[in-house]
Amino acid sequence: MDTEFTLTSGIISRLIHAQGGENDLWTSGPTLQFISIKKVPSTSSPVDRYRIIVSDGEKYTQAMLATQLNQMVTDEAIGRHTVARIDKLTCNVVQQRRLIIILGITVLGKASDKIGNPDNIDIPIAVANPTAAPAPAVAQQPIHQAGAPRPQAVPNNRGPVVFPIEGLSPYSNKWTIKARVTQKSDIRQWSNNRGEGQLFNVTLMDESGEIRATGFNQAVKDFYDKLQEGKVYYISKARVNLAKKKFSNLPNEYELALEKNTEIEECLDQSNLPTVKYNFIPLSNLESIEKDATCDVIGVVKEASALGEIVSKTTHRELKKRELTIVDRSGYSVRVTLWGKQAEQYEHHDQPVVAFKGVRVGDFGGRSLSMISTSMMNANPDIPEAHALKGWFSATGSTENFQSHSNAMPSVSSGTFNRAEVRTLSDVKESQLGQSDKPEYFSSRATIVHIKADNISYPACPSEGCNKKVTEGADGQWKCEKCDRSYEKPEHRYIMSMSVADHTEQAWFQGFNDVGLAVFGMPANDLVELRERDDAAYNAVMHKATCNTFNFSCRAKQDTYNEQTRVRYGITRIMPLNYLEEACVMRDLLHSDWAR
Amino acid sequence: MSDQRSPRVNSARLPNYLGQTVRLTCKILKLQGDRTIVQASDGGEVAVIQLSGKSALDPYVEIVGRVEDAQTIKAMTSINMGDNLDMKLVNDCVELTHDPRFASMF
Repeated sequence: MDTEFTLTSGIISRLIHAQGGENDLWTSGPTLQFISIKKVPSTSSPVDRYRIIVSDGEKYTQAMLATQLNQMVTDEAIGRHTVARIDKLTCNVVQQRRLIIILGITVLGKASDKIGNPDNIDIPIAVANPTAAPAPAVAQQPIHQAGAPRPQAVPNNRGPVVFPIEGLSPYSNKWTIKARVTQKSDIRQWSNNRGEGQLFNVTLMDESGEIRATGFNQAVKDFYDKLQEGKVYYISKARVNLAKKKFSNLPNEYELALEKNTEIEECLDQSNLPTVKYNFIPLSNLESIEKDATCDVIGVVKEASALGEIVSKTTHRELKKRELTIVDRSGYSVRVTLWGKQAEQYEHHDQPVVAFKGVRVGDFGGRSLSMISTSMMNANPDIPEAHALKGWFSATGSTENFQSHSNAMPSVSSGTFNRAEVRTLSDVKESQLGQSDKPEYFSSRATIVHIKADNISYPACPSEGCNKKVTEGADGQWKCEKCDRSYEKPEHRYIMSMSVADHTEQAWFQGFNDVGLAVFGMPANDLVELRERDDAAYNAVMHKATCNTFNFSCRAKQDTYNEQTRVRYGITRIMPLNYLEEACVMRDLLHSDWAR
Repeated sequence: MSDQRSPRVNSARLPNYLGQTVRLTCKILKLQGDRTIVQASDGGEVAVIQLSGKSALDPYVEIVGRVEDAQTIKAMTSINMGDNLDMKLVNDCVELTHDPRFASMF
């Protein structure tokens, strides 16, 4: 049980005494043992921090665990006497002592006891670069209690040595980060009771993480044009503030404010450029992501809709949008919505591979994706997944049939036709679906046997989005109570009660306008007019509408009407049959175990 | 007349029905006068004779005819099946009709 661990002896001493420029030291991956781990409550942030005494067998010193690794302590992946290889570390100077910050580790194992007999490295260092700018008396890192030193991050000269974004905190002020602008917002004006101004923000990313930076007023003029999406910059002397979570959904506790004395310089050194880190989810797994969460996906754009415009119900402003349908090798497709300028500027006519980062998951039609302000879209990125996708698509993918998250075809979730959950009507009735308080969903293939003819439509308010019933006044005008307006003619909308049956049972389904359109093949207005004009033709239409078979997605729910409680089946989706698909389903079923 | 059976076959099953009437759903490959070369649902090629050219033939047809030998059918009538047919589905269907599990149905 007690394997021999070899610690990198002498490394602690070297780390503590290193002067600027010894980059390799920080990436050398030394093996150290954790002598003790202690939780330190943070005064300035809600996240706890862990202080670890690390030893190389000869000396020990204090180290802080980067918050993104906190999980390892709570999961007990690391603990007292753990031996680990420190893949990534940096250090801050506090009270003239160097404090190691552990950013990344690989656990090698847990020793049964302390290795060697290390003693405290505890030696105040000679600081290599004295502070030129006036250093404010800042309260220090939330670990030690006394004094007000001048925190300086040592391996921090401009040039090759940079600070990781994860290591930024309000207590370090002489830092430089090298980061890529992954997203830049438009310039926004605001005016509220405290004044007005303009602002813009960018998302900066390096290998350690991401952080948002905002520039106000003067900073907009200074930096807006300078910072370009996709380019890498050295940034220093921006203020580190606590993140305003309301305006950003990046996982960083802090954010940067670009100020008058902030320095931004484009990085022309092509090596070591931070690249965007993606964590792609195959489209087939989208159901497991919660609504409103964000994720990264990559796929081939099979279709791109034309630029459309909708009016936002909340702000009543026009919004430009475009829908892309992307597919990937998991065999699924999903719709991604682009907004505003991105929608307008999308000009790819081929079928590019596009990588999306931080798109929000919605449950429209099952699952859908939407670009939000912090999302990123990158067409034909130079990453291995993109090349693999391109190859797959040109070989087989372009002709494949995909399971869709946003269409009428087989998938999960309410409202779409879930092939796996198809029930016969007798099954639906026997299982008493909908008898409990919650609505239950099912799918069925059934044939329309009879449509209740007495009430197939109602006069509705013609204004966009309002479907309320309008009443005819004495003057012949139709009044809508909700919109408080009168109209010449109402817009008729279908409301139907149909008897449907399959080979097992019969049931009554209720449907609205979309159902009527599918069943009758004409808008309600036309049918109502036909009824008044030509009785025989109307009857013919009604007759023709029966005996058609559809796939239905339904919601079963209890309804109380005049003291009578019944289960009513509402149609959420009606889909005409694709005979080829249905035949294939039946063929597959005959080939499956069920048929044995 | 009630005993007019015409089981649906593919090229591999032709030898089982020599001299009998069958249905072959196929894709027309070549028209050579009185002889038409077609591709059955399992990919095999069959020659069809006396397939009348009176009515226009779709790319996919179903031939009802008598099996002359393992590669030839003498056509009696044909049914147009359009220009888009999933031959794999057709073949699965043919195989399923001959499946012993469903012998009572066919």
